[in-house]
Parts: sequence; structure tokens; C-alpha cells
Amino acid sequence: MNAHLRRSFYFFAMGFVVLIGVLAYWQVYARESLADNPANNLQTRKDISAPRGLILAGDGETVLARSEPRETQTGTVYDRSYPEGAPFSNVVGYWSTQYDRTGIEAGENSTLSGAAGDPETLDELINQLSGGPQPGNNVVLTLDPDLQRIAYEGLAESRTGRGSAVAFDPRSGEVLALASYPSFDPNDIDENFPELSEDPDSPLLNRATQALYPPGSTFKVITAAAALEAGVEPGQEFVDDGAYETPGYTVRNYQNKSRGEVTFTQALVFSINVVFAEIGVDIVEPERLDEMAREFGYGDDYEDFPLSVSPSGTGPPPEEWLPGYTAQVAFGQGQVLSNVFEMGLVTAAIANDGEMMEPQIVREIRSPDGVILDRSSPETRREVLPEDTARDLNEMMQAVVSEGNLTQAQLGDVPVAGKTGTAEAPPNSPHSWWISFAPADDPEIAVAVMVENGGIIDVEGDADTPAIPIATEIIAAHLDAEPGPIPQPAPQQPPNQQPQPGQGQQPGPGQQPGQSPGQPPAQPGAPPFGQQQAPFQPQPAQPPGAAPGQQQPGQSPGG
Amino acid sequence: MTQRATMPMILALLVTTVGFATLIFVQEATSPPLVYGAYYCGVLFAIYLFVRLWLPHSDVLLLPIVTMLTGIGLVMIFRLTYDIENEENLAITQAVWILVGSGAMLFVVMFFRNYHRLFEYKYLLALGGLLFILLTFTPLGYEVHGARRWVDIGPVSFQPSEFGRLALIVFFAGYLAEKRDVMAATSRSFLGVQLPSLKYFGPVAVVWAFSLAILVFEKDLGSSLLFFAVPLLMLYVATGRTAYIILGGLLFSVGSLLAYLAFGHVQVRVRAWLDPWQDPDGEGFQIVQSLFNIADGGILGTGLGAGFSQTIPEVQTDFIFSTIASELGLLGATVVLLAFLIFVYRGIKISLLATDDASKLLAFGLTSMFALQTLIIVGGTTKAIPLTGMTLPFVSYGGSSVVGSFLLTALLLVVSEKAGRRIVEEQEYQERSF
Repeated sequence: MNAHLRRSFYFFAMGFVVLIGVLAYWQVYARESLADNPANNLQTRKDISAPRGLILAGDGETVLARSEPRETQTGTVYDRSYPEGAPFSNVVGYWSTQYDRTGIEAGENSTLSGAAGDPETLDELINQLSGGPQPGNNVVLTLDPDLQRIAYEGLAESRTGRGSAVAFDPRSGEVLALASYPSFDPNDIDENFPELSEDPDSPLLNRATQALYPPGSTFKVITAAAALEAGVEPGQEFVDDGAYETPGYTVRNYQNKSRGEVTFTQALVFSINVVFAEIGVDIVEPERLDEMAREFGYGDDYEDFPLSVSPSGTGPPPEEWLPGYTAQVAFGQGQVLSNVFEMGLVTAAIANDGEMMEPQIVREIRSPDGVILDRSSPETRREVLPEDTARDLNEMMQAVVSEGNLTQAQLGDVPVAGKTGTAEAPPNSPHSWWISFAPADDPEIAVAVMVENGGIIDVEGDADTPAIPIATEIIAAHLDAEPGPIPQPAPQQPPNQQPQPGQGQQPGPGQQPGQSPGQPPAQPGAPPFGQQQAPFQPQPAQPPGAAPGQQQPGQSPGG
Repeated sequence: MTQRATMPMILALLVTTVGFATLIFVQEATSPPLVYGAYYCGVLFAIYLFVRLWLPHSDVLLLPIVTMLTGIGLVMIFRLTYDIENEENLAITQAVWILVGSGAMLFVVMFFRNYHRLFEYKYLLALGGLLFILLTFTPLGYEVHGARRWVDIGPVSFQPSEFGRLALIVFFAGYLAEKRDVMAATSRSFLGVQLPSLKYFGPVAVVWAFSLAILVFEKDLGSSLLFFAVPLLMLYVATGRTAYIILGGLLFSVGSLLAYLAFGHVQVRVRAWLDPWQDPDGEGFQIVQSLFNIADGGILGTGLGAGFSQTIPEVQTDFIFSTIASELGLLGATVVLLAFLIFVYRGIKISLLATDDASKLLAFGLTSMFALQTLIIVGGTTKAIPLTGMTLPFVSYGGSSVVGSFLLTALLLVVSEKAGRRIVEEQEYQERSF
């Protein structure tokens, strides 16, 4: 009998071992797939049963998102509230139990929810061990709330009311503003999501990072950088005879205008497509042009950046570019696609003497009781240009503002550098671009603004650039300067602008602001700025499937 | 037999104390009156001391395991119900049932030291047990969640099957001890399998028929399974004939198939087992919620009080193991399962050392029922087997289950006392002879 008793015991013991195995299967092996099961609402219950962390603007005070307790029958739950609403929603995103999450709410979810990850403070450790409620950590962004609002309102008042703007601190890579219009109110996303997702103006799309547009002439700074690297001097002479022929495609300035002999700087100032096409095809060549764009961040999705970024691009691989296509790439058309985030980084890299900083939008992580758990420090992403090349390009871009007589972009005696863009987007009006940084001699802010279909070219071939005043307002607010024309260089004439006290970076009244030595003065009678675009003719040389100027929005959120 | 287990007793009571302290100080649960905790610790420790005095040769290691399991059960019941309206006092009720169970255990230990008297009344006990279970078919019986296994007699409601099956195990132990030799004799063989004589098979057949009746009329799958499997295992151990297991397995398969085809409630259970994801908000809801919570626990668990297993229907009774797995994790759940396994191990050991066949079979019958019940309900909550409504012994909320489990332990204790005494006597005899 005893043998059978033992055998029975082995049978029972085996049963227990099998059960432990089954438990291990559910709790270790199948754990994640069960957690992700659509019928599993434990995560939601968990999420709403503990307060998420705050999202704060760069001043450390402006609350962009917070959790508010609400008593229910089953206990306290927390609702998310966004006091600053739509101007920040493309960055902050929304957090919904129905429609998932976007923006910082998604990108920093593990920090904000506090439930995941290793404990970082003793309180957290005690809470975690004892299973107590774990409020999430606070995220402090780099955004300057005033600049963000100015950018948002500027876009809202623009001609088409669709566009995006970004402002970086070129020295640190911190995002000071990142606005997109139209936007949405994240406070009632659960009610409005279905409507918002159907809206033809795509308010849920973060135009600054997720959409892609032809950058037009703003891309010329990349071509110019490649040209300078290839040995072209800013003062080097080129001949603009109004047309540049490649096999199968001819680049023409608008209305066949030609300026004759111009320097490289002037070619940028007047944005002469013919000259840039020639430089692109004959001097830089496809590989180096594409390589320069990649060094500036084209093709990168900025994985470590908490917001999702659609990679910019130059179209097909450079080996396949025909001269006609290279010519178009040189002035930012063809299949070149980008957004203000990428072009803002390009601008910031030039402003920072060619050193491109890693873009950062999260400055600090703080525990609920204010202890700083993590603080971002500036990181160099890449030395894109040698310092002297960057300085040359900087001066050329200053000339765009001063010689090009872009009064809307000027800030009195604060030197400003920039480049316009009017990117063809047939059949609609072109997109209006403006990239800029200031003070050009010691840049503190780099801005890229784009107004969708906001550029209108008048009969004389001059484009109105509604992106410029938006950028100027952002820069002026950041530098505490007044927009206004560059004061005349005559030393006896008092400058228009009294320098603001406490702004050490501003040039003193005795300095020669705005003008770089060695540059010819602005030519009277010249158009305020040249915006000659190659009119789109049949382009047999273009690679198949190319749809120039077509806007390609990134994946639409919540889709 | 283990005669000292003071340290394990203290540790078991400490586990319970730490559990309550966590809930009260960290989860800020309102403390139940401390006097219940004092009663609980005091009574269980007093029983331990009493058993050591009264049954000096018994296996007292069973008591710290019982203490730990009831303690974990109390902590979990308290955790699951302290903030639920109308159920705030469930843990206190359970504590009272534990005290009642301890009293019942004390009664058996004191008055049934000579448990062989029970075998003399085995037919009476069997009849009584069956009639007791039949009470559920009288107007006193009522249904809960589709299973008619409750009887209401004025002040208390209870599940007669929890006690009836103890009586049946005593009967089988006595009956099989008497008849094991004749039942083991083979008369014919079929397809190479030696078939046992069916002559003395009557009582087994009666109980199996009864098990079928419970399945059909009470819709109580769990009890039905136990009434079938425990006699089968006892038969196997008594006769040593694997043929019984094969025969039983065949009967079980045919019976299961017929039950599946004939009864809707069986089909629901099987469907919910095979593919609960098809209807996670309906038929599969309970098991799916259980799995989500178990998975949520991971290796270390969410922490006591931090899980969400209150979403599982019947969590404090049948599904209490899901809460343990969720909040104490794979480690905690494994510890609890190992505690059950130790109990089973001690039970089998008592059976191995028992002096006579009836005692061996009694200890084995009790232990195998305990083991099967644990395996079936834990297997059900983890989707290893189809779910059958059953309590986890000592841990689940429920008076009948707790008192029944204490009675089971009491019977094991008295059997172990006799076995232990024999060992001591043998040792003394040997010492004298050398």
C-alpha cells in the first residue's frame, strides 16, 4: 500500500509543480501580451487611480498639464486637465483613456505615470515596496510660455491660418517654442476627437514636427554650406543670365529676370535659383549636397526627442539624381521635404558656429515633492560645419536681411540673419518660409516659421513672406528688442532704438550694427528681396512618381 | 512525527500581522477591532500548545501551515473587502469562522482520540453524509450562482457537502480496509487489462451515482469531481490495482462527454476555458479578469493592496488565489502553493506511518481530497483546467469550507498521534532489546 501512497504523492506534487509552471507562464512569459490585450483595462484603472505628474513650461511655474482628483463610488480617480489649452497642445499632447496619448504625455509617459521604472527616491521605493499610491514625476519643459503664445497667435493671425513655428536656443538645442496652427483643446479630447480627426485642416497634426513640406529657398543655406565647403568664396562671382540649362530641364528665374554678374552672397540675398542650380549641379554635385543635408539632420527621425518627428528628405538616393533634379534640390524643390523643426535645427547649427546641438524639450524631471531627479545638459549632435564656414554663411545670411532690405525682419541695431523661402505647392499657393537667428554676432535664438500656402508672388515676381513678421515678433520678445529697420550707419544720427538696459548681448550705440564689414551696402532700387522661383514646366527629367511641392503630412495622430 | 513547531507557529502569526500592518498603515485601511486579532493569535497558539500536550506524538507541523494559510486568507479577505460597502466586516466574520473551526478541531482532538470507533459506525456515517447532502434538495436548500449547494437552517447557512464528504471518506477508509483483499482479487481480464471483481463494488457505485446526481441537480461541478476522484484514488491505493484508475478514467471521460453534451452549464464552463477571449465581457469575464490580474502581478507582485483584483467576481471565495498571485506575485503564490504541498506531504507521511489499513486510507483520503481541491481550484483560476466553483481550503472566505478544513486537519492529527505513538513504542522496544 505504501508504494501506491508514494506514487499518489508524486502525482499531487507534480500537479503543484505544473501549477507553478502555469503561473510562471502567465506572470512572466505571457505577461506583456496580456497587459496589451484590448479587453484589459487594468492599465487604465491604474492610470486613473494615481495622479500623473505635472507638465510645466520652462519658467517652472506655468502648468501645462495636471491631474485633478474626482471622487467616484469606487474611490478617487484623477482626470487630466490642461490649463493653457490649445497653444501648447501640439507639444503637451493629450492623455485619454479612449484615444491613447500623444505629445509629451506619450513621450514622457513612463516619467509622468510614475508606475513604471525603478524607484528614484526613498519615498518612491517605500511606496513601491508597500504598494502605496505612486504619484508620477513632474516634467519641466524648455518651452518659454510667452514665446509659445506669440508664435501660436502669430500663426493664428496669418493669411491662411495654417502653419508652424519653432524657436531654438542654438547654444543648447533647447526648444523655446514649437507651435502649430490650427490646434485643439486637449481638455475635452474625449468628446471632440472624432470631429477633430475628420477636420480637413488636421488640427491633431503637429505641423512643426510631423508634417513635411518642400522647404523651398530656405534649403539654399544647405546648398550654400556645401558650396562653401567645396571652396566657393562668398565674394566669388557668378553670372545670372536668367536661365540654367540641364538636359531636359531648364531652370529659369521668374519672368526670366537676370541680374548679370552677382557674388555668391548676392545670389543668396536675391535667392537666385539659376546660380544655385549651377552651384548644385556643377560645383557641389549630388552626393555632397545630399551628404550635407544628412549632416544637418535630413533623414533622421530624432528618436531621442520625445515628440515624434517625421524625417526630412531629399527624395531618391543621390546616385539616381539627374542634373535637372539636382538643380531643383539645390533650391529646395524637387522632392525635398522638411518641416520647421528640421529647418530650425539647420538654422541653429549655422548660428552656433556650425555645431549642431541635440534638440531638447525636457529640461528637468522632478519628483512630486520637487527633488530634481534628472536634468538635461546640452549635447553636441554633430560638428556640421567648420567654424569659419559657419561664420561665412552667417554673414551671408545677415546680408539677406540687411542688403535684401527685409525691414520686417530687422530689429534695429540687433543684427539679424535669415533666409526666405517661397516653396511651390501647386495647385495651391506656395508655402511661405522664414528661417532666422539673432543677434547674428552672438546668436541666442534661432527660428523657423512656415505659413502653409501663405506666400503670394505678385506680378513683379516679389513674394510676400508672412512668415517673417511672426518670426520677428518671437525673436524680439526673446531678446527684449523692438522690431524696426536697421539704423543708418551715420554715427552722428542717434539710433532708432535705445538699447534696452540689462541686455548685455546687444551691441552698444557706438557699434556698427547690422552691417558686416566688407559687404556692399544695400542697393537702392533693388527689390526688397528676390524670390525668383523656377516656374514649373513639364519636367521630363524628373524621376518618375515625383510630385513636386506636394505636401506630405506625416502619420496623422490617433489614426 | 514532528512534535515541535513553535518557531513556525510564531512565523505564521507574524506573516498575518505584517499583512494587516501593511494594509492598515500603508493602504490606510480602517483597522478592524484589534481584539479579533488577539483572539485569532491567542486561540491558534493555544490550540497548538493544547495539541502538543494532549497528542504528544502527533504531527503538529500541520498547525503552523493551517495558521499561515488562514492568516493569508484573512489578510486577503480584509484587503478585498475593507472598502466595499456592506462587506467591510467580512474579515471579522471569517475570523469568527476560524474560531468556530478551531473549536470543532479541539472537539475532535479531545473526543475522537480513539478514532477507530468511527469505523464501527461507517455505514451509518455514509448514510448520514448522503442524507446531509440531500438536504440541499429539501426546501431548506437554495442556489447561489447557479449551484444549489447551500442549506439554510435558521441562524446559519452552510454547504452540507463540505461535511458530508468527510463522512464518506471515513466510510470508504473503513470499508476498503475490510474489503481490500477481495477487491484486489481479479476474476477476469478484458483487452489485457485485469478487471477487478465487481462484487464489492456496490458502495463505490452508489457514491459515483451520487456524484453524478450532484453534477446534474446541484450543478456543483467541483463537489461532483471530488466525490468521483477521491474514492477512486482510495480504491487504487487500497487494492494496488491500476485497473481501477483506467476504469475510472474511462468512466470520467464518458461522463464528462455526456455531461458536456447534455448540460448547458457544463458547456459554458468548457467554452469559457477553451477560449475565454471570445467573450471577455460575458462568459469569459471571470477567468479573463483573473488572468489579467495574475499577469499584472509579475514575479514580485503589485504589492499588498495595490492590485485591482476586486474586478473579479467571487474574488474572496473561489478566486482568492488570483489576488494572491496578483499582489504577492509569482514568488508569493509559489510560497502559498508550497505551503499546500507541505500539508499534503505531511498528510501522505501520516498515511505512510499509520499502523493499520483503515488509518492509512483515512489519512490518504483526507489528504487527497485536500490536494485535489487545491489543485482543481488553483488550476481553474489559472485556466490550466476548466473552472469549477470551489473554495481554496483555509484561504477562501466561507464558514463551511473553513470548519470542514479544520475538521479534516483534526482527523489527520488524531491519526498521526496513533502513528507517532507506535513509532515511539517501537523505538523504546528496540532500545530495550539491545
